[in-house]
Amino acid sequence: MLNGFTRAFPALKIMTAEQEESVHRGALFTMEKTGMRIEHDGALQQMADAGCAVDFEEQRVRIPPSIVEECLRKVPTNFRLRARDPHNDLVIGGDTVHFMQGMGMRFVDLDTWETRPATAAEHREAMIVADALPNLHLAEGWEIYTDRRNIPPVMGMLENLASALRYSSKTQVAGNIKDTEIFAIAMAQAVGSDLFPEIEHACPLTIQSGGAQAAFRYADAGMPFVPALSVNQGATGPATLAGATVLKMAETMGWVVMVQLHTPGAPIAIHHGISPIDMRTGDKVLGTPARGLGTAMVNQMLRRYGIPIWSNTGFASNSKKIDFQAGYEKSLGTLFSALSGGHVQMYQGGSSVELLYSSELAVMEDDIAGWIGGVLQGPIFNDETLAIDLINEVGPIPGHYMATAHTRKWWNQEDYFPQVADTESYASWTTTGKRDMLERAKEKVEEILATHKPLPLTGGEEEAIDEVLKEARDYYRSKGMITDAEWTAYMDELSLGDGR
Amino acid sequence: MQDQTLGDLAKAVKEYDGARATALAEQALDSGTDPKDVLAALTDAIREVGDAFGAGELFLPELVSAAEATQQAMPIVEAAFKAGGGSRTSAGKVVAGTVAGDIHNIGKTILCTLLTADGFEVIDLGIDVPVDKFIEVVREEQPDVVAMSALLTITAQEQKRVIAALRDAGLRDDLKIIVGGGAISQPFADSIGADGYSPTAPGGVTLARELLAG
Repeated sequence: MLNGFTRAFPALKIMTAEQEESVHRGALFTMEKTGMRIEHDGALQQMADAGCAVDFEEQRVRIPPSIVEECLRKVPTNFRLRARDPHNDLVIGGDTVHFMQGMGMRFVDLDTWETRPATAAEHREAMIVADALPNLHLAEGWEIYTDRRNIPPVMGMLENLASALRYSSKTQVAGNIKDTEIFAIAMAQAVGSDLFPEIEHACPLTIQSGGAQAAFRYADAGMPFVPALSVNQGATGPATLAGATVLKMAETMGWVVMVQLHTPGAPIAIHHGISPIDMRTGDKVLGTPARGLGTAMVNQMLRRYGIPIWSNTGFASNSKKIDFQAGYEKSLGTLFSALSGGHVQMYQGGSSVELLYSSELAVMEDDIAGWIGGVLQGPIFNDETLAIDLINEVGPIPGHYMATAHTRKWWNQEDYFPQVADTESYASWTTTGKRDMLERAKEKVEEILATHKPLPLTGGEEEAIDEVLKEARDYYRSKGMITDAEWTAYMDELSLGDGR
Repeated sequence: MQDQTLGDLAKAVKEYDGARATALAEQALDSGTDPKDVLAALTDAIREVGDAFGAGELFLPELVSAAEATQQAMPIVEAAFKAGGGSRTSAGKVVAGTVAGDIHNIGKTILCTLLTADGFEVIDLGIDVPVDKFIEVVREEQPDVVAMSALLTITAQEQKRVIAALRDAGLRDDLKIIVGGGAISQPFADSIGADGYSPTAPGGVTLARELLAG
């Protein structure tokens, strides 16, 4: 049985066939007329050899529609992601929907709502909770707590990945800043896992050398990767949803051609999110309907091309707290993305734009992920579930359904029952401490930490990960990216351990 | 006649028409208007737009469009100052850039545009700017302010490196350093030894002015 949910009904389409075609044509036109700036000569050469018009001076490639169409056909419509525990393997694409941790730089104190850099023990605990949550299929240990106490920034994500691989056997996200992908790939290979890495993209219409390089490294390692094509409306892209969608599809085409010419058939997904910005401050606004609509439009286009989708619609809220605003902003957008065919929903635990991550929020949102998954799987239809014979057997009052074999068999087959939502009766609630959902989530986190034991690494795997970390530390130290003062604080911090 | 042209120039800025602003600035200078008065017309116009932005009547697209219109007309005015043997008095010289490893462009570009419009002379080093580049340009240009942006935690520390390198090169004490970007906060700015932090681009302009006023 595969992990995740399968949508049982057609994906919601919000553009007409004509509108969809006009976006497609606009993107093709843009690639042919203006093209992409790609700051990587090797990639440009491959594209020139394939018949694209390349200006090496300007690092600009213009791509004929025929090459775009041909390369789009080469993209696998789904791919398998191996986890270090094969029970957690996933197939991304088609009609599947998976949930993934949201991201957040810092740990948040739930009493004061102040944030601060996280400790190794806090990262470990966040990963154990993520490992335990039933509706969290992909872990994001890479970007949970990028701000780590006394860890030099260039090592933060690699230390996070090591911790994530130790304390969760689910597939992990990674990325590509400053060559970190070299070490991320080595760590994942050491434990027999794939990664689901996101690659930096510079909007509009630019692929930087580091992004292209990382994409090729992941492709060469046989791993999928995911260019992150987010856009801020009116700043890095058109202010209109239709225009932003055209731009995103043009950029998708540029990436697909670059990658498929390098490695035909390479699995690639697109990470996207359309964000309006507050034109008084320039800040991102994450909870407006435009974000949901834009997501659905991009999902519709990517499904047309058969490209797997990572949607960040619900990855964070603007709210600084775990409150009603965070709940509606994140869950409505995620629901809309899941209904419109997004495959991976970046969701549980992140908030305050990208500032905080909370295990308690992740636990609460795992319930909502279960709710959305329950809807996606649709009703079960057969002679038995239609229950026509039963209805006629039970008849009018005093007939009832509680004592039937049918109820005993089916009552929990089509629904999802929340783990931490308050479903107590009022009378019971007044005698059990009048707890709300957040308080119940805090208790759930404690319970998980006391009882859940992630599948441990083997001794050899532990050693291999330590070895990669050591190489990475040496690499960045030799490049002057870790100063002596940072090094001393870093070593002192590591000597404290992670509370295992 | 002169007043009419300068009035039209201000209007062109307020209508976000850089080409017309440039043509009108040229026309005013050709007819003998003092470059100082042309500059004043431009900066008064952008200040008016800035005030309307501050009051919540206009928004970033209008503010940035008006600033770009001003910026477009500025080289003509600067050339006139130079031809007259002088130079325009600027509010200060700023070297700005997004630090190494970081490719976030928009916030930094908005700040540069607003600074220019506010009368600063701005050298925009772009994105992914290595420490050495900051040092080299600061040594050459001797700016009053260095402005750095970082949007990622992993790149925020680059700001600290730039400040350390400026100190090592003996350049730190002659200038003010301001920082901003999504990964930056006031405590972080304090911890790396910056002189100021602003969460927004318009706030960055005010900050630069305040720091230079001492």
